[in-house]
Amino acid sequence: MPAAFSGKRPGLRLRLLLLLCLSLSGGSPADPTVTTQDASHSQANSLTKMQTGLNVSSPEPMTTTRTVNRQTQGSPSDHLTFGHNVSVPGPDLTTQEFKQETKEHVSNATFVEYEILLPGVSGTSTEKNITLDRATRIELSCRLDNKHSHLKSLQVTWKWGNETLRHINKTENSWGIQLRIWDNSQLGSYSCTLKGEEEISAVFHLQVPKIEGKEKPIVSYEGDTAVMICKSFGYTPTAWTWYMTNGSEQVAINDSLLADKYVINRVSANVTHLKILKLTKEDDGIYWCEAGFELGKSKGKLKLKVLSLMVPLKPFLAIVAEVIVLVTVVFLYEMYSKKKEKCAADEKEFDQIEQLKSEESNGLENSSTRHRKI
Amino acid sequence: MLWLQLRGRTAGTDPAPSHFVFQGSSAALATRSPSPAMPPLANAGRAPGPPDGGWGWAVVCGAFVSIGFAYAFPKGLAIFFKEIQDFFGTSYSEVAWVSSIMLATTYGAGPISSILVNRYGSRPVVIFGGLLCGIGMVSAAFCTSILQLYICVGFITGFGLALNLQPSVIIIGKYFLKRRPIANGLAMAGSPVMLCTLAPLNQFLFDNFGWRGSFLILGAILLHCCVAGALFRPIGAATTPVKPQVTGKGKDALKEEVTEDAMEMGSPTKVPMEDKVEEEGGKACCEKINQYLDFSLFKHRGFLIYLIGNVLMFLGFFAPIVFLAPYAKHIGIDEYSAAFLLSILAIVDMIARPTTGIIANSKWVRPQIQYFFSFSIAFNGTCHLLCPLASGYMGLVIYAIFFGLAFGMVCAMLFETLMDLVGAARFTSAVGLVTIAECCTILLGPPIGGTLIDTFGDYKYMFIKCGAVMVLAGAFLFIMNYYNYRMLAKEEKERKAKEENPKPVRTENEGRNSWNKETTRDGPELEPLSKEQEGLKEEVNGINEV
Repeated sequence: MPAAFSGKRPGLRLRLLLLLCLSLSGGSPADPTVTTQDASHSQANSLTKMQTGLNVSSPEPMTTTRTVNRQTQGSPSDHLTFGHNVSVPGPDLTTQEFKQETKEHVSNATFVEYEILLPGVSGTSTEKNITLDRATRIELSCRLDNKHSHLKSLQVTWKWGNETLRHINKTENSWGIQLRIWDNSQLGSYSCTLKGEEEISAVFHLQVPKIEGKEKPIVSYEGDTAVMICKSFGYTPTAWTWYMTNGSEQVAINDSLLADKYVINRVSANVTHLKILKLTKEDDGIYWCEAGFELGKSKGKLKLKVLSLMVPLKPFLAIVAEVIVLVTVVFLYEMYSKKKEKCAADEKEFDQIEQLKSEESNGLENSSTRHRKI
Repeated sequence: MLWLQLRGRTAGTDPAPSHFVFQGSSAALATRSPSPAMPPLANAGRAPGPPDGGWGWAVVCGAFVSIGFAYAFPKGLAIFFKEIQDFFGTSYSEVAWVSSIMLATTYGAGPISSILVNRYGSRPVVIFGGLLCGIGMVSAAFCTSILQLYICVGFITGFGLALNLQPSVIIIGKYFLKRRPIANGLAMAGSPVMLCTLAPLNQFLFDNFGWRGSFLILGAILLHCCVAGALFRPIGAATTPVKPQVTGKGKDALKEEVTEDAMEMGSPTKVPMEDKVEEEGGKACCEKINQYLDFSLFKHRGFLIYLIGNVLMFLGFFAPIVFLAPYAKHIGIDEYSAAFLLSILAIVDMIARPTTGIIANSKWVRPQIQYFFSFSIAFNGTCHLLCPLASGYMGLVIYAIFFGLAFGMVCAMLFETLMDLVGAARFTSAVGLVTIAECCTILLGPPIGGTLIDTFGDYKYMFIKCGAVMVLAGAFLFIMNYYNYRMLAKEEKERKAKEENPKPVRTENEGRNSWNKETTRDGPELEPLSKEQEGLKEEVNGINEV
């Protein structure tokens, strides 16, 4: 969640409101930027090695005041006329001075700041993914680290897609842009480029929260029930919608229409369940859960596999047959070995009987001889 | 003359039909052949004592499978719990009850298992247990509520596993004497091996068949316990009359080891607990109960020592395993490495068990096997006490290795020491009584550990508690066994002195039996073992030289 900030000046807030109303009524909503002007702008020269970026996710009260220009009308290209060095506001702009901590009233926007420390890791373009689920005022900045702060004559460009944006010089070594995002079309990739001897750039990807589906298919059986779950992590969607794929198109699932087949349940703010009853083979396929946020929608993919009962039955019967075979083999072997021992024992008995008989007869003779002797 | 000789030896006054008379006079001679195999004509005399080999190894294989399923199966089911929880819409703890009920039934049904083994022998009980497991899991595949899962998976399958566990352990005692620790170690190694096999197998089944299909197929797999049961050939004939009492300490020792089916001339005295009801006619009621489940064991000093020590030990035995992975995640290790810790534990465990069996069988350790057992418990406890000092992943890996080693050592000797103390004859009842007593503490151990963790927010108190309990148990067992060994040596001396004066045959049955049983144990059993062999040789020679 974008961190909240402390609103400070109700008076300023009111003025902002006014400004906003004016801008909304007047201008195209496609302009995301509120450009600020440089008080001063120092340039750094060449950039050398990269370092890791730095994320400031909780807003800090800005220490510097700046003037804010808001473009109320005209296409975004109007901004392009203003280079980063220009400090004069455009003709249609109403300038407003305010501190960064003020709260945007209409859509309860929060304020966040993100900063990337340049240069980042060597060889890569430094990127940052920023997740926004509601209207936000956001400031993105690129800062040159202390080792390279001596570099001069740096040309700094901020771009959104192909447009160049007006940026402000926050400090000697950092440049930033301030944006108010209230629409899906304002999301995208914002980049800052520092051109000196080498070119270093950083990109901020503004996006809606991602929804995870399940990579592995959910396996269920004909006639059974399947429960599919979608979760949103950290951000609460305003609405959940489920789609099933019919051929190549996605069809929304209306659970009130087909109440005995589909049950959609919003278990908690961030979790939704889709229960499909009385499964058939046709229910097999891909399902999408879509979470609607203020700034857009995000989808998660789930796969459902419907098997017939025969499928696990085959291995089951195979294993049972194997067990029966093994048990029979064991018992047969036992009977066989018992028979062998019985035969052996019988033979032994026979021998011993013979032996006994002969010995007895000997003994009798001996005793009789003894008797005779006596 | 033959007959006179025999009479002289068997001067017992027991109204035992002389079992020497089977098939005519030849039988008498035939009984003398000390063949290690067990012909069912075993009336026709057989080895004095368990075979210690031969078919015994097949029995060990069967016990390996059986014990493996009994211990590993409840743990292996954990893979399905997430899906079942989502399907039935219950909380995790409700689903975890399935495993707990299964474990509780496996241990709690011990006495019933013992009674059945006493009555019917190991084989039918194991086969029936295997069938019950299979039926339980197959019916679980068609369950429509969590309650039905409790019954099918928890009670029915748990009971089937109980009917597998006890007889497997019992029959090892019947087939082995001199090599019993090795056999025990090998059979108990089934548990980690099965766990390592079941975990990926369950995952594979789940990915391909969902939980219902997996339960169906697992039911079929559990039927392999029936195969294991088929291997448990009964030693000798099932119903045997009483053996006449004999004097001579060699024979006394023997009667501990030889099973009820052994019929030798002049060998084991009556074993009070089996199905000798007929011979002993006119028994009092409690004696009758004693036949099925020998409660007189509670007067047996060694048994009581073992019981108290083990009940104490189990309080801290399983909790560390349950909490090892969560602890690893708690200190910042990722999920897969944490799971790998458990694999390391299982692999070391797998190797440690047969190795411990071999060590315990050596001539230096076997007479003092109780000390070795208490040492391994204390070693286990020390590992837990040192665990909080382990920092980082490498520290935990080392801990897992030592823990696996100690765990394997204790498990391998768990039943061996009990057999050593009470002897194979009374082991059947002993194991049943011990498991039902352990059942409570086994179930209490992890929840107490969990409460400690929740209360203090720190895992180290759980480790300290487990370590302290086990060190205490180890020390207790060590001291008490020292005392026990001394008392036994004393009684041995007294008995020798008594036997200097030639005595007529023992007239009392039970009392004498129990006294004899207490005095003869496997600690110093190697001596009586050799003596008994001499004694028997005398008999054999004496007869054969006719």
